Amino acid sequence: MALNRRTLLKTGAALTAASMAPGIVRAEGAHWRVAASLPMTGPFATAGQLVAPAFSEFEQQVNDSGGIGGKPIRVEVADSGYIPRNALANFQRAQAAGDLHFYYGDSTGFMELVGPTLTGDNAVMMGSTSFASALSNPANRPYQFMAGPTYEDQFEILLRDIADKGGKTVAFVYSDTEFGRDPIEHGRRVAKELGIEVVLEEVTRAEGADIENHVTKLAQANPEYTLLQGYVTGVWPQLIGGARAFGLTTQFMGTFWGMEKIIADRVTEQAGPFLDGYQGVMPYRYFYDQEDAPFYRELGDFKRSINPGFSGYVTAWELEGRLCLELWKLCMERVIEADKEVTPDNLMAELGAIRNWDSSGFFGEPVNVVNNKIGQGRVYRYDAESRLYNPVSDWIQV
Amino acid sequence: MITGHFKTDYSADEGIWSIWPKRWGLVAALIALAIFPFIASNYALLLAGQIGIFIVAVAGLNVLIGYTGLMSLGHGAFFAVGAYTTVAIHHEWPLTFPLITLVISTVVTAAFGVLFGLPSLRVKGLYLAVATLSANFIILFLIEQEWLAEWTGGVSGIETPNAVFFGYELVSQQAKYFFIMPVMVLMLLFAQNLFRTRFGRALIAIRDKDYSAEILGIALFSHKLKSFAISAAYCGAAGSLWAYFFPAILPEDFGLNMSITLVVCLVAGGMGRTLGPIFGTILILLVPEMLKIVAAAITGGDATAQTWVSPTRDILFGLMIIGFLIFEPMGLVNIWDRFWRFMSRWPFAK
Amino acid sequence: MGQFIQYMINGVISGSLLALVALGIVAVFKATKVVNFAHGHLILFGAYFYFTFSVVLPDASFMPDWVSSWEPAWLQAYAGNAPMFSPRAAIASWVSDLPRILLGLIGALAANAVLALMIERFVMRPLLGQSAFAMILSTVGLIWVLEGSAGLIWTAEAEQVPALGPNFPIRFQLFDQNLFMFSGSLVNLLVALFLFASLMLVLRYTRSGVAIRATAEDQSTAYAMGINVPRVFSTAWLVASTTGAVAGAILASRNGLSPAIGLFGLSVLAVVLMGGLDSFAGVLIASMLVGILSSMAQWKLGGGVAEIVPYVAVLVVILIRPHGFMGQEEIERI
Repeated sequence: MALNRRTLLKTGAALTAASMAPGIVRAEGAHWRVAASLPMTGPFATAGQLVAPAFSEFEQQVNDSGGIGGKPIRVEVADSGYIPRNALANFQRAQAAGDLHFYYGDSTGFMELVGPTLTGDNAVMMGSTSFASALSNPANRPYQFMAGPTYEDQFEILLRDIADKGGKTVAFVYSDTEFGRDPIEHGRRVAKELGIEVVLEEVTRAEGADIENHVTKLAQANPEYTLLQGYVTGVWPQLIGGARAFGLTTQFMGTFWGMEKIIADRVTEQAGPFLDGYQGVMPYRYFYDQEDAPFYRELGDFKRSINPGFSGYVTAWELEGRLCLELWKLCMERVIEADKEVTPDNLMAELGAIRNWDSSGFFGEPVNVVNNKIGQGRVYRYDAESRLYNPVSDWIQV
Repeated sequence: MITGHFKTDYSADEGIWSIWPKRWGLVAALIALAIFPFIASNYALLLAGQIGIFIVAVAGLNVLIGYTGLMSLGHGAFFAVGAYTTVAIHHEWPLTFPLITLVISTVVTAAFGVLFGLPSLRVKGLYLAVATLSANFIILFLIEQEWLAEWTGGVSGIETPNAVFFGYELVSQQAKYFFIMPVMVLMLLFAQNLFRTRFGRALIAIRDKDYSAEILGIALFSHKLKSFAISAAYCGAAGSLWAYFFPAILPEDFGLNMSITLVVCLVAGGMGRTLGPIFGTILILLVPEMLKIVAAAITGGDATAQTWVSPTRDILFGLMIIGFLIFEPMGLVNIWDRFWRFMSRWPFAK
Repeated sequence: MGQFIQYMINGVISGSLLALVALGIVAVFKATKVVNFAHGHLILFGAYFYFTFSVVLPDASFMPDWVSSWEPAWLQAYAGNAPMFSPRAAIASWVSDLPRILLGLIGALAANAVLALMIERFVMRPLLGQSAFAMILSTVGLIWVLEGSAGLIWTAEAEQVPALGPNFPIRFQLFDQNLFMFSGSLVNLLVALFLFASLMLVLRYTRSGVAIRATAEDQSTAYAMGINVPRVFSTAWLVASTTGAVAGAILASRNGLSPAIGLFGLSVLAVVLMGGLDSFAGVLIASMLVGILSSMAQWKLGGGVAEIVPYVAVLVVILIRPHGFMGQEEIERI
């Protein structure tokens, strides 16, 4: 955009407003405001860049269909660089600019950092990229929710699946981050309950792990199943490749962030079809599974209409962001319909009251929101031939 | 033509606020600091609080790098020690008076500073920087260990207590601001005065040439250790304030990223001057936020625009740092000095 | 014992990657006395360039088909129905990728060289005569510039690139123990050692090598002796960027290509200091040592501890030898 006098004036006004606007002046605006922090730069920029379209498209689609309760929405995204305190600054900046009705956070760290401040006037309904177990806690975190099962639940789904198939030994391989460590303790407990022996717990770097060492240790422990946790774009494909090249037959399994099709496809294309058979739990349908998913079809049509070059696939990461927004929209509509005031408390009350909701695509079966999370998921298996994750289980409730 | 300021006695020569604009400027700055929280939004207070805390830490780093000439890339660790000590004290004795916690955290961190300083006699320059950097990683590793998790919360971090003064809990950022700023001002005054003492001048002598200083009768080792201790103490105080200011702390807050940010703040502001940390911190912490606001005003916070706006912001920020080093290597303080020289000699000279 | 040797081998392989990254940092330091904090991001650019020239470009419509996948009849006959990861299948698929791997390497080397020359000319040269401290910090500023530029150009996508060598497991026996290594890693190791050895030979025996060493010894004297010192600086940056491009290609094929590669450079700093900032041999030893120690720590103590092994090691070494294993001691005059 050209830097003309008007943008300059607008910028100046924004700078003053952001620094000076006292918390008292929070007049009801002409928009419902949604804001988000995404890691557009830094080590997780890939994820941020892929999730971003969900926000601009949501804004456009909702406004095209007349807004929520007749009022248009406004979505503002800011970059956090995956640093929690930057995300906190983004959040408070968004708050300073007027009434804020929904916020989307970009890391567990941020959600933990902002959690205790969400009280009274500062409270905002908040979704995020994180499935950390600590966030599914209405008593402690009354305004934060997740659009799926926690990592602990996802781990439990996998372990139960293993037990059903008669698996006896399992290895946990996870990254040395909070994200990686989140479900491990719960995993140990569940494994013990189910009579599965945890033969190896291997901590790796989150990026650029030392594949040879991990494969050597896996080979020594020789588990029937290996659960991977705490990876996004890297490590999991390389680890599986190393283990397959070595000739290990262990069945690898992953959770949400390590289940993305485009990563698996690119690996298959450049390094060979060794990801074939990789399984993992995914709370949602993949985007290509559109038969019973009218929402996915609509989204696909919309994407084609604004971008003729649309590849026809939407990442599960983007869908997660979109689902958080859709849940907020649902709560908004219900609050407005019930003729209540739009407050974070009312929104969260509506969220907590969601029962048997037909997500029109995301989930296979109607879902309930319990403890600010949605405990549904399914085990998928990657097929390198068709480049698709195919379901190998029914929809599982936790 | 004015060539200088006429002084008639030694006390005037030693004075910090040599000319009246500086004296009144200080008063005006203090008044502005006091008024600011009443007109600022939460967001501005968040930034102000962060800047205040960072100024304390950078002032500490200044003691070490700017005045003693010892390089450190590990000050994030002192920050962490201060913050976690505060949390641990409140964990054990929840009702500890905040100032006492602050002092204890500072002292504990100073002790860690002495520990970090031990290599400084043998190791110099970049090697010292990397030694401190390593120590930083090792401290964070210890914090993340499970056997300390009761006090530190391990990798997932821990919620921090609020400061309670005589039954009044500092919850809002406005209240916390009034805790941070006085501490900041006092610590800056202390730093300013430290280098008018025999001890402070000894540190400057070490910076200029350590062996010469030793020949002059300055005990190198003990002075370097004390410098480390003071420097760490500042960061410890900053860490303690940080713990009170933010609702939670995470080990990753205090890694290499923070250590480098502290050094960048110091260099951008100007080393070896008290005003340097103030200017540098304000610049380095505010510019990215300002760029974000400007970008949001231009694009309306549009998500797809972020894919090019955010990297561009990074590039501009990096170019600013490089530009500073090329065109103003002595830091912002140098511009400030030029400004005052210009003012006091106007209209005769530049 | 067998296990021990196995982890030793693993350690040497990861050590060789450290060495390859460290190489560029040492080269720049030796000539210019600047520790390049942005070396990791130079490598990141190398990796993205390699991706551009080996994946994006061959798929472009104007490129002939054989560039993206070269499949002559004899190669298909050779490959036959060999199972995945068998040496035969691995070599066959590697040969069919060879044209684009070469294109990628050449492109990455050239593009990274241009980038480094620009950095040297527009960032480092204006800072000549400033304190070393200012120059080092300007490389910190470069981190943001490079990371942002990469984000602008390649939108931070996570991508995959073809490996430099065929990848199949090599199994062998030593002391009656079954050991293994991946041929791909072996290729990486050989590339790293080759670059190291050739650089040391160049420094020892060629004219420009002597010029670099003279500049490292004493800049102003070198100037007075008629050595073109700015040229030496450019040469050093060239060496850093080209080895960085190779390192980038290797890291991207090993770990996948993502912005996180940039961080790898920072973690190598400790290793460089451990070996001695201006000693190639010292840094090679340090890299191997850190690689092996981390590997052993991973084996016996787990991943958390393995992470900080380099830092503990560098602390211990620096306390005993303040200039690293083989770093030149600074002689100070008063």
